[in-house]
Amino acid sequence: MVISPVHYIAVPLLAAFVIPLFAKLNREFVRIIPGIVLLYLSYVSIVLMNQVSSTGTISEVLAGWAPPFGINLVFSAFSGFLASLMTFMGLVIWIYSYRFKKIDDEPALKFYVLFLMLITGAIGIVLTGDIFNLFVFLEIVGISAYSLTSFYRNRDGAEAGFKYLLLGAFASTLILLGIILLYSSIGTLNMADIAQKSHLIPTSLKVSIFILFVVGFGIEAEMFPLNGWAPDAYSQAPGPVGAAFSGIAVKAGMYVIIRLIYTLFDIEGSFQFLIVMGLITTIIAEVSAMKQTNLKRMLAYSSIGQMGIVMVAFGIGTREAIIAGLFLMLNHAIIKGLLFLSSSYLVYNDDNKLISSLSGLGKRLPLVSFLFALGAFAIVGLPPFSGFWSRLYLLLAAADKELIYLIAIILIIAVIEIVYYFRVINKLYFKDIKVKSDDVQKPSINAVISMSILGILIIAIGIYPDLVTSYLGNAADALLDKAGYIENVLVDINN
Amino acid sequence: MDFGQYQNIVTISVYGSAIALILIGLYAVLIKKNLIKIVIGLSLADAGIHLLFVAIGYLKGGTAPIFSPSVVGENVTMVDPVPQALVLTAIVIGFAVTAVALSLVIRLYKHHNTARIDQIKSLKW
Amino acid sequence: MNTYFVVLLILFGGAIISFAINKVSYLLSGIVAFIATASATVFFYLNVDTDNFVQFSLAGFDFQWGLNSLSLLFTYIVLGLGTLATLYSIQYMRFKNNLGYFYFNFLLGIGSMMGILFSQDFISFFIFWEIMTWSSYLIVVYNGNKTHKIGIKYMIFSGIGAYAMLMSIVMIYADVKSFLIADYIDYISQVGLSGHYLQIILLIVGFGVKSALMPLHVWAPKAYANSPMGYTSLFSGALSKMGVYGLSIVLLSLLTNFNTGENVSLGGLFEGINAEFIRIIVQWLGAITAVMGTLYALKQNDAKKLLAYSSIAQLGYIITGLAIGTELAVMGALFLAVLHAIFKGALFMAMGAVERQAGTTDMTKISGLVRKMPFTFIVTLMSIIALAGIPPLGGFVGKWLLYEGMITSGHYFLVVLIFFSSTAAFLYCYRILFGIFLGQEEKETINVREAPISMLIPMLLLAILTMVFGTYPGLLFEPIANAMSYIGYNDVVWEMSTISNVWGDKVSLDYVSLTIFTVFIVAMIFLTIKNYKGTRYVTTKDISTSGEMPTENENLTFQLNFFQPFERAVAPLYKRSMDKIYNTIGESLDALFNFVRTIYTGNGQTYALYVIVFLVIMLIFKDSIFN
Repeated sequence: MVISPVHYIAVPLLAAFVIPLFAKLNREFVRIIPGIVLLYLSYVSIVLMNQVSSTGTISEVLAGWAPPFGINLVFSAFSGFLASLMTFMGLVIWIYSYRFKKIDDEPALKFYVLFLMLITGAIGIVLTGDIFNLFVFLEIVGISAYSLTSFYRNRDGAEAGFKYLLLGAFASTLILLGIILLYSSIGTLNMADIAQKSHLIPTSLKVSIFILFVVGFGIEAEMFPLNGWAPDAYSQAPGPVGAAFSGIAVKAGMYVIIRLIYTLFDIEGSFQFLIVMGLITTIIAEVSAMKQTNLKRMLAYSSIGQMGIVMVAFGIGTREAIIAGLFLMLNHAIIKGLLFLSSSYLVYNDDNKLISSLSGLGKRLPLVSFLFALGAFAIVGLPPFSGFWSRLYLLLAAADKELIYLIAIILIIAVIEIVYYFRVINKLYFKDIKVKSDDVQKPSINAVISMSILGILIIAIGIYPDLVTSYLGNAADALLDKAGYIENVLVDINN
Repeated sequence: MDFGQYQNIVTISVYGSAIALILIGLYAVLIKKNLIKIVIGLSLADAGIHLLFVAIGYLKGGTAPIFSPSVVGENVTMVDPVPQALVLTAIVIGFAVTAVALSLVIRLYKHHNTARIDQIKSLKW
Repeated sequence: MNTYFVVLLILFGGAIISFAINKVSYLLSGIVAFIATASATVFFYLNVDTDNFVQFSLAGFDFQWGLNSLSLLFTYIVLGLGTLATLYSIQYMRFKNNLGYFYFNFLLGIGSMMGILFSQDFISFFIFWEIMTWSSYLIVVYNGNKTHKIGIKYMIFSGIGAYAMLMSIVMIYADVKSFLIADYIDYISQVGLSGHYLQIILLIVGFGVKSALMPLHVWAPKAYANSPMGYTSLFSGALSKMGVYGLSIVLLSLLTNFNTGENVSLGGLFEGINAEFIRIIVQWLGAITAVMGTLYALKQNDAKKLLAYSSIAQLGYIITGLAIGTELAVMGALFLAVLHAIFKGALFMAMGAVERQAGTTDMTKISGLVRKMPFTFIVTLMSIIALAGIPPLGGFVGKWLLYEGMITSGHYFLVVLIFFSSTAAFLYCYRILFGIFLGQEEKETINVREAPISMLIPMLLLAILTMVFGTYPGLLFEPIANAMSYIGYNDVVWEMSTISNVWGDKVSLDYVSLTIFTVFIVAMIFLTIKNYKGTRYVTTKDISTSGEMPTENENLTFQLNFFQPFERAVAPLYKRSMDKIYNTIGESLDALFNFVRTIYTGNGQTYALYVIVFLVIMLIFKDSIFN
């Protein structure tokens, strides 16, 4: 069988719908099938990434209709990097969530179906070359994300889910409106074709379309002031879902904004706009994180803040900055993933997920606490952990463009991060033990494995960043090569 | 009877009702406090958008974009099929979102004993 | 394999082993740590070679590790003190928990300091700097519970310092396109300083935090006083010297040599700043640090805190000396830097011994330990003489050079300040000696014994070193002169055992020392024999009060309010403490932050409104945003 990007979408989508059937045969299939699917996708990732680095972008036509009429998938070094990252995070989260919280087969079935759909949607967003198709995938992500947010059938879960849905519905309305305007003005939905023809649209209309898209996808990408859903959703969703949001769903929204700015539209001022919005997002989020009493909510705000910094990186726009941005995305996925996964065990039995309930847990849950602390060290950018390098790259890119104020703000924010993360670490390790030993939940073996994978990765990249830098460099080149993107999709296929 | 004279009125009324639907929907979402009304508002805005999309794809005097033996080879104007296909998809999506929304509303009502959105804010700051 | 890698491998590997081995035996952990540092030290000095540079590239940057004569000087402090402090810690930490954790961070600290000294490029410098910071943070909070605020404060200030440094580093990279320190120095010497002041100021802030320069010192007293003493000796002795090391590169290599008195301003916020101005500011900050550190030291009742403030004051001298930048002043500063590591290391160890044996270092609670802990007393005595700068011990030579340097370069007012704080240092030194060791014995301390031998050895060695360097300062002048040749002072004149002044007077220290030691020993023998029998024991709290009966809980120790009259005289100086200012800033920021997060009202409809408002604003102002 030839490995192609279509497998990314077809396999998990198919699996999502056959899981209920297999569940009739054996209950364990519910949990095993997603793992098999994700392992297969990881294999696909490895094969395709190798192929991309040797032969260049892979453009796959669906159903025989050549672009710009048909739908195509583009697996470039850039989109491939993100797709592989999402697959990897999916796999790690699957390992972690295997028998998470001993949930019954029935909810587990729903969880895995939704989870696979989330991954399908997110990878689809990244790979597709058609803007309406992208919209559809966004809705797939959306619907599964709303449901996953309110996965626990409790009061706050429903509330968070509803808020997410409300804003998500807004997003889809705006995006659809944008698509309508775009289609009515240039009559195409293929992204490469749009990129080619976008100069034909009158500037005013083009900017309006761009704004509609940015606001729509900004909701998914947690841009301030569109991110009201995020803290609630992160804090109420089950731990693995929080990790999936920060590692998978948000990345997809961010990807679209990057594509809009770098490839689709050529709008003056959009880079500065991204920098400013990123800074505002970061500042507000980090400042809000400072005084949180709820651990998950604190992580949520921190996550928003990180995405703001990613926006800043892509707003700078040089090759170095893009590398920094991608590195930040990678780090955000693995580090925030680790933080969400480990914090789930830290606040396992506390419904309010209070930071104060962590007192002295370092003695009761040594490994989980250690991994959480490792994640915290990494996310505030202390060397020799991976977070340091991405921040260094970002600062160097900013310094190259002489954006001194930007460097200063990013570093001040880093100090704020130190304050609130170290407050939690202090609570974990240097406070008297409050909880009784039978009140804490020991992590299951698979949870330990998945968190350890992330932890080892953080240290490995921190000590030897060259593990990933070449991929990042290729991805950045692919993103900057707009002409190459258009050519790959439109010319190569037609010939 | 000159059909073209009414064509403009039809066009205007279609576009007008689309925009009106969107605005009504927005009004419901932003001003109304009842969760059900908010969900209805979302659906209305969606419907408006769909109408707008279909209207854009419409050509004066066009027929349905179906290749049938009777039209093959003849010089017939057809309306743009793409928006119609897209709108079909969008309607399905809107339906799914509404379903999820309503199920959440039911659960919210169960837990809070109210359907007023301004009273459901235990998650804040 | 290369020396540098091997040394770091031994230290970091030792860190991991001693962490793991703690499960087997608490004692092994410490022994492994000691063996690791000792073997690293031995290996390093057997293979030391200043011309050996290693280059490698990582993450797209070029790294260079090597040694220069300046960093070589500081390796003496780090490895020497590090080895002794680990030896000391084996017994000192014996009955505590989490020893694996302690030694892990301890060795990480030593390793990262060596890494800093090896680094010839800014980026590995920064990486090791940060590892040093967080490993020391983890030890500051080691004692638990009360320490978390201290730890956070330490981390905030370290963060500010480190990120100021990082900001400077990335700006330097943007200019020079290289991370090598030597390249930057070359670059500055070619293009001059104009336009690069911000980089230098930020570097000074970065290093200033670690060397507890006013007004960035507020983390230091409590962090020093609350870490385990075995580590504090290293913390105050060696870790703070990394700031001094950095400052000596910045102030001397960058500012002094190329300072031609040019008056190029930075423009904007930094209008009117030039190199001389920066140096004057640093001089004054150093001097003020010295004075304030001394004044606060006087107020302390806890010997550990007293020493912590005293460390700050001493670092103030060193920085002032570096900032003045004449040959003599720099020599004095570097001499003091080494000496401070020695005597403050010894003092903190001695206080650790007292704390371990007597349970506290509060000078109002214990006294009269001289009979119980004679060796600790001797160590304290000698270190304090060195600290106060009394001949014939090492501190004197350093201060002499410093004064000379300041007077000959015409900084008379600074001399007055330094002299004042140096004199006031006598007062607090005396207090430690008298408060803890002399005076009457307390009932509470009746069972106190001398510290174990493995704790005494490092203390005594350090004390002997102060004597050796006091008598033969040339032993230390040689590496210092080499170090100074690296930062631009060629042909520094020094003699083995003689110090001179500009007017041509010379003093032979070996004769002076010999005389003093002879007199001292004779006098001691005499006094011991004479007083051996006629001793009378009285307790401190045996005080008659006029008519009133003091209750049990009233502390009437003479140590309380020891320097009350003096304190009253300088009371206005105590009023404005930087600490309070920072606390106010912190509280108002807290309130502001708390306010900001109310943006997230919790009402889904408000969020939807935000979206629409944002959209509308964007659409209205689209022309001005996306011209």
